[in-house]
Amino acid sequence: MRSFKPTARRCFARQILIVTGMIFFGLVCAIPLSASQQNTIVVGSKNFMENRLLAEMFAQLIETHTNLLVERRLGLAGTHVCFEALRTGGIDLYPEYTGTGLVTILGQPPMGEANTVLNRVRAEFLERWNLWWLAPLGFDNSYALALPRKQAQALGLRSISDLVPVASSMKAGLGFEFIERADGLPGLAQHYGLHFKSVVGMQQTLKYQAAAKGDIDLLDVYTTDGRLAVYDFVVLEDDRHFFPPYEAAALVRGETLEQHPKLGRVISLLAHALNAKQMRAFNLRIQEQGVPVAQAAREALQHLQLVSTNQEPTQATSPKASSFVSVLWESRATLASRTMEHLGLAGLGLLLGILVAIPLGLALERYRKSAEPVIRTIGMIQTIPSIALLAFMIPLFGVGPLPAIMALWIYSLYPILRNTFSGVRDAAPHVVETGRALGMTEWQVLRFVRLPLAAPTIMAGIRTAAIWTVGTATLAAFIGAGGLGVPIVSGLQLADVNLILSGALPATLLALAVDGLLGGIERMVRPKGLELAR
Amino acid sequence: MKTLALEARRVSKQFPDGTHALEHIDWAVQEGETVALIGESGSGKTTLLRLLNRLIEPSSGMIVIQGEPATAHDPITLRRGLGYVPQDGGLFPHWTIEQNICLVPQLLQWSKDKLDQLVNTLLPLVSLDPNQFAGRYPIELSGGERQRVAVARALAADPPIILLDEPFGALDPLTRQELQEQFLSWKRQLKKTMVLVTHDIAEAFRLADRISILKNGHLHQMGTAQELMQAPATPYVHSLIQHYHSHLS
Repeated sequence: MRSFKPTARRCFARQILIVTGMIFFGLVCAIPLSASQQNTIVVGSKNFMENRLLAEMFAQLIETHTNLLVERRLGLAGTHVCFEALRTGGIDLYPEYTGTGLVTILGQPPMGEANTVLNRVRAEFLERWNLWWLAPLGFDNSYALALPRKQAQALGLRSISDLVPVASSMKAGLGFEFIERADGLPGLAQHYGLHFKSVVGMQQTLKYQAAAKGDIDLLDVYTTDGRLAVYDFVVLEDDRHFFPPYEAAALVRGETLEQHPKLGRVISLLAHALNAKQMRAFNLRIQEQGVPVAQAAREALQHLQLVSTNQEPTQATSPKASSFVSVLWESRATLASRTMEHLGLAGLGLLLGILVAIPLGLALERYRKSAEPVIRTIGMIQTIPSIALLAFMIPLFGVGPLPAIMALWIYSLYPILRNTFSGVRDAAPHVVETGRALGMTEWQVLRFVRLPLAAPTIMAGIRTAAIWTVGTATLAAFIGAGGLGVPIVSGLQLADVNLILSGALPATLLALAVDGLLGGIERMVRPKGLELAR
Repeated sequence: MKTLALEARRVSKQFPDGTHALEHIDWAVQEGETVALIGESGSGKTTLLRLLNRLIEPSSGMIVIQGEPATAHDPITLRRGLGYVPQDGGLFPHWTIEQNICLVPQLLQWSKDKLDQLVNTLLPLVSLDPNQFAGRYPIELSGGERQRVAVARALAADPPIILLDEPFGALDPLTRQELQEQFLSWKRQLKKTMVLVTHDIAEAFRLADRISILKNGHLHQMGTAQELMQAPATPYVHSLIQHYHSHLS
């Protein structure tokens, strides 16, 4: 059919323009997200500082002693995410602890002597997954319970056994992973018969401040945490030997070692090279002195004489108390690229959402019987917490941008689908009926009546989805996808408010900007004639 | 006897939910005649109208249009040849008056020159000034003006038959009276076959040549106003006439 006079034609041209623009934008943003190459080693880490530091040390060793390129996926959300990423090939190696391998990954009881545990995990990981535990780095970073010295002295506490009689009046602030792990609170409580008055789950860094202020009475710590000395906390002795040894070592994919035989030798330069005291000092550099992880890693490697001291001289450490504005200004280049990553993740997720949800919504409008079940199912997926959904994507898509985009795509479906379906279904039924009665085909009715009238509703759905994806994309940092969540996650670990804000503020501004932009588009696609001219 | 423009032969319609909307209707409209379909809601009058332009299909029986079974052509072609005026105007809110009027000729792919002329010939016919109204949107018009545009749109491709579904039902009494008068003049000028659905017996008597009275899916009587008044065929028709007289007095 010929176009329906100027307005109809202009509307359609405008819609095409907008869609093309979005696709182009998505592609542009996708370029920096392209997958890793053959000669690239992907180093992962968990989302706490020591693990990041070790990963960074691995990365710099590889960069110094081989020709391989290194891609860093640091700060992945916990053991599960890291391990799944390694198993499925999303990363090639990450620092792991033998006790965690035994208890959390293999699901075996938390017992044993250091060498027994190491041999056990080596044998089982090799057999089950072809994953290699390289030589331990030389220190044991165990879990422990700690409390401020004053309280410990007042209550006369030295060991966990001393704690048992007074625990029922204490409020414990524990890490989320510790509360869940068999070698954490559940096992510990059973082993010692320990029952706290209450337990609150807290982020690692915040626990220290809360304990120092007296908001919590007790916390779990890593024995190599540098802040133990700064906060003057007493570590309670594990007198009945509950905690298994947690020797740090690199956990590497067998395939990667086969492909790059030199890799194992290079990382083994760190074998037995570190001790707990050194680690506390290195950790402290980052945690309290505000030294960037990359710099702390270089210093550590220089100290161990594994890299030469004269390359890239150490910069003066930036004082931690610098103003927020200067933090923003100093990191403007990083922030710009993080913003682009962020937009890329959210944009591609949204674009895929649009490409799937609009046709699906139109199809469901034709097959109404299946509409409610389908929409409700997708609505239920929506209620999965975003961080959980991101984690579910890892076995399917590895780590990095792809699983994040997939999760964001799934999140964007519901509002667009719901609005497309109901927008088209409810579009002026009398007018639709008249169109039919005057001899328009179903396609013409859809194209010239229902879609234009539903356009503002559909656009409102897209707008909601866009704000969700831009917001949720901050969590993508937990599975190594980059974006503005990266400074937020690091900032949380360092309790660095400026760093958190340097991610959170741009993310908020971005959401506002996207909302404003799409609000404008929403007004543009609103057909003239739907409201009285002013 | 004149040729028949529209015919329903033993037509029944049962909806999937089990309602018998029409049962064994035999009904015919002569060419150039205006017939009113009158009845309460649920009487089947709108169902009959929708059967004529094949928005729905009969469960049994046959619809004949200008001597040919309605099923002889595909429904899209059929509908483009039947004018249609719905109750609320049914104008496309996102199209201008001109675009709305050109709808069916556009569907029929008329040339641009002919399309450009349309608005100038049709709007004066329904007493609207093209210069003033062509570029406006439906929301900027009053209810009466919108109904006039709907009539102009139905006439645009010059169809021989026009179906009107309670065209004046939603208007205030003054506007309705004004449009009813206009309707009579269109009727004289255009000599179209028209089927007018209404629930207002006074309107039916005033505008139609013959009246069909429907109740619960049955055709009670069909005839001129005089025939109905002099010889009501059923008690229902009789009560309707009584009601009409009591309103007049």
